[in-house]
Amino acid sequence: MSANAGTPTPTYTPKQKKTTFLLYWMKEWSSWLLIIPTLLFFFFFSWQPLLSGIWLSFFKTKGFKAESFIGLQNYIDVITNSVFQQTLINTFMYVFWSLVIGFVIPIFVAVMINEMRHWSSFFRFASFFPSMIPGIAASLLWMFLFEPSENGLVNKIIGFIGIHPQGWLQDPNMTIITIVLTITWRSFGATTLLFLASLQGVNNELYEAASIDGAGIWRKFWNITLPQIAPLIGLTLILQVSGVFQIFNEPLVLTEGGPNNASMTLQLQSYFYAFRYFEAGHSVALGVITFMILMVMTVYYFKLQKKWDM
Amino acid sequence: MKAAKTSGIIGDLEYKLPRVKLIYWLFFTIMIIISLVCILPPVWVILSSFKDVKEFYEIPPTIIPRSFHIEKLWDTWNEFKFMRYYINTFYVTIGTLAFTVFFNGLAGYFFSKLKPKGSAFFFLLILWTVLLPSTVGIVPLFGNIVDFPLFHINFTNTYWPLWFLAAVNPVVILIFKNFFDTIPASLVESAHIDGATKLGIFLRIILPLSVPVLITISILTINGVWNDFFWPYMILKDQSQWTVIVAIYNLKATLPADIQFIGLTYAIVPPVLLFLVFQRYIMQGYSIAGSIKG
Repeated sequence: MSANAGTPTPTYTPKQKKTTFLLYWMKEWSSWLLIIPTLLFFFFFSWQPLLSGIWLSFFKTKGFKAESFIGLQNYIDVITNSVFQQTLINTFMYVFWSLVIGFVIPIFVAVMINEMRHWSSFFRFASFFPSMIPGIAASLLWMFLFEPSENGLVNKIIGFIGIHPQGWLQDPNMTIITIVLTITWRSFGATTLLFLASLQGVNNELYEAASIDGAGIWRKFWNITLPQIAPLIGLTLILQVSGVFQIFNEPLVLTEGGPNNASMTLQLQSYFYAFRYFEAGHSVALGVITFMILMVMTVYYFKLQKKWDM
Repeated sequence: MKAAKTSGIIGDLEYKLPRVKLIYWLFFTIMIIISLVCILPPVWVILSSFKDVKEFYEIPPTIIPRSFHIEKLWDTWNEFKFMRYYINTFYVTIGTLAFTVFFNGLAGYFFSKLKPKGSAFFFLLILWTVLLPSTVGIVPLFGNIVDFPLFHINFTNTYWPLWFLAAVNPVVILIFKNFFDTIPASLVESAHIDGATKLGIFLRIILPLSVPVLITISILTINGVWNDFFWPYMILKDQSQWTVIVAIYNLKATLPADIQFIGLTYAIVPPVLLFLVFQRYIMQGYSIAGSIKG
C-alpha cells in the first residue's frame, strides 16, 4: 500500500522518518486492514480486468489467455471486418434515437407532473412503474407485444387509428427505433424522478415575482424552470450517451443483432467475438475502440461545457 | 390523491384563466395516456397468462381476457421448477446483501471516519471506477472467474462471483460515505476511548445509526438482484443454479408462448410487490443514487 502517499516534509533525518513511519503504521494498520478486502475485490473484479483487457488486445489469444504479441493486428482485423462499419453506425443511431425519443420525455413528464393539481402522486407512481420490471422481462414482454404480424397487440392497436401493421423488430429500418422505444419505456421513470426532485427545488417566490412582472407560462418555463434544471439536463445527457453507447442486453434479447446485423452494436459484437466465436483478442480490441470513442466524446463534451459556461 | 403544491409554473391566479385551464387539462390527458402506456402492458401480460390455451392462441388476440385459469400457473410452477429458481435468486440476494452492506459499508466508514493518510488516493481510484466503461474488462473478468488468479479456482456454477461483484459498488460506497459523514465524530471518539475496536465501532455504533440508509440500500440491492442478467447468465450455466431471470431467458427458445407468459408473470410480480410495499424508499433511493452520480 502506498502509505507514504501523504507523508510530507523531507526535513526529517532518516531516523525520525523511520519513527514517523512506524508510528503511522502502529496507529493505522487496523484501519487499512478493514479496507484491504474491499480493495482486493476492486482489484480482481474491476481494475485488473480493465488493465489486462487493454494488454490482451495486443496479443494473439487462445481461450482467454495471451499467446503471442501481434501489435495492432487485432485492431486491424476488427476494423477491416465487413460488419464493423455498420456496427459503428448502428451504435451511433441508437444514441441518436435515444436522444430524439428518450431524452426529452423525462424532462417534459417531470414538468407536467410538477404542475399537476390532481393525481400527481399517481402519475409519479405510474411513470416509475416500468423501472421496476426486470430488464430482461421488459424486453421479452415487448417482444411479444411488437409481434410483427397483424395480430401483434401493438399492430392491432395502431390499426384502430388506421396505421398499417409494421415489422417492428423484424424490419431493418425500424428495429433500432423499436429497441430504443422499449428501453425508453423502462428507464424514463427513474430520470423523471431526478428531474422532479430538481424542480421541487425551485423557489416558488421566483414564479410569483415573475407573475407579478407579467411573465406568461412560456416565459416562466424558459427563464426560471429551464435554467434551474440545466445542470441536470447536461448530466443526464452525458450519462445517457455513454449508457446507450454501451447498449448490449436489449439487442441480445430482442434481436440478437439481427435482422442481418441491422441492430448489431459494438458491445454486442464484442460479446459475440468473445463468447460465440471465442476470439478474445478481437473482443477486447473492439472494447478498447468503444472505450476510446466514449473517452473522446466525454472530453469533447466537457470542453463544450466549459465554453458555454464562459 | 392531491399532493401539496410546493412550486410550479402555473400560479393559482393563472389557473383560473380559461386558456391556461385548457393547457392544464391537456397535460392531464397526456399524463393519463402515459400512465396507461406504463402500466397496461405488464398488466396485460399477467392477465394473459391466466388465459386457457385456446384463448391464448386465438387470432386476433383478445385484449381483455375472457377465461381465467389460476391452476395453469400452479402447473407451470411445478413442471418447470420455478421454486428452484426462486430459492436460487433468494441465495444470490442474501449473499449480495451481506457483501454490499459489509464491504461497501466498511469502505464508507474507512473513507468517512478513519481516513488514514494515503486513503484519499484510493478514494479517487474508486471514484474513477464509476466513470470507466466496463466494456474492456468483461473478457478478463470472466477469465478471472473461470480461473481465479493465484488460487486457480473455477467459480462457474457458484454464487461466489456474484457476491464478490456486489462488493465492487462505488455508488453504494459513496452513499454510505455521505451518510456516515453526518454522524458526529465525537461518538466514534468516545467509543474509541472506551476501548472499542475499529470494527466494533463500525458494527455497534455506525451501522445501528444508519438504519434509514441501510433500508434504502437493501431494497435497491434486492431489486438489483432481480434485475441482474449478464453475470448470472454467464456464470450460472447449470439449470439447477439458474436465477429467475436467467431461467426466463434460457427457456425462451424452447417453450411455447403461453408458458413463457407465465414465466414472465413470475419474473414481474415479486419486484412489483416490492415496489408497492416500499414505494417511498425506492423512489427516494433512486433520487439519492442519482444525485450522488452528479
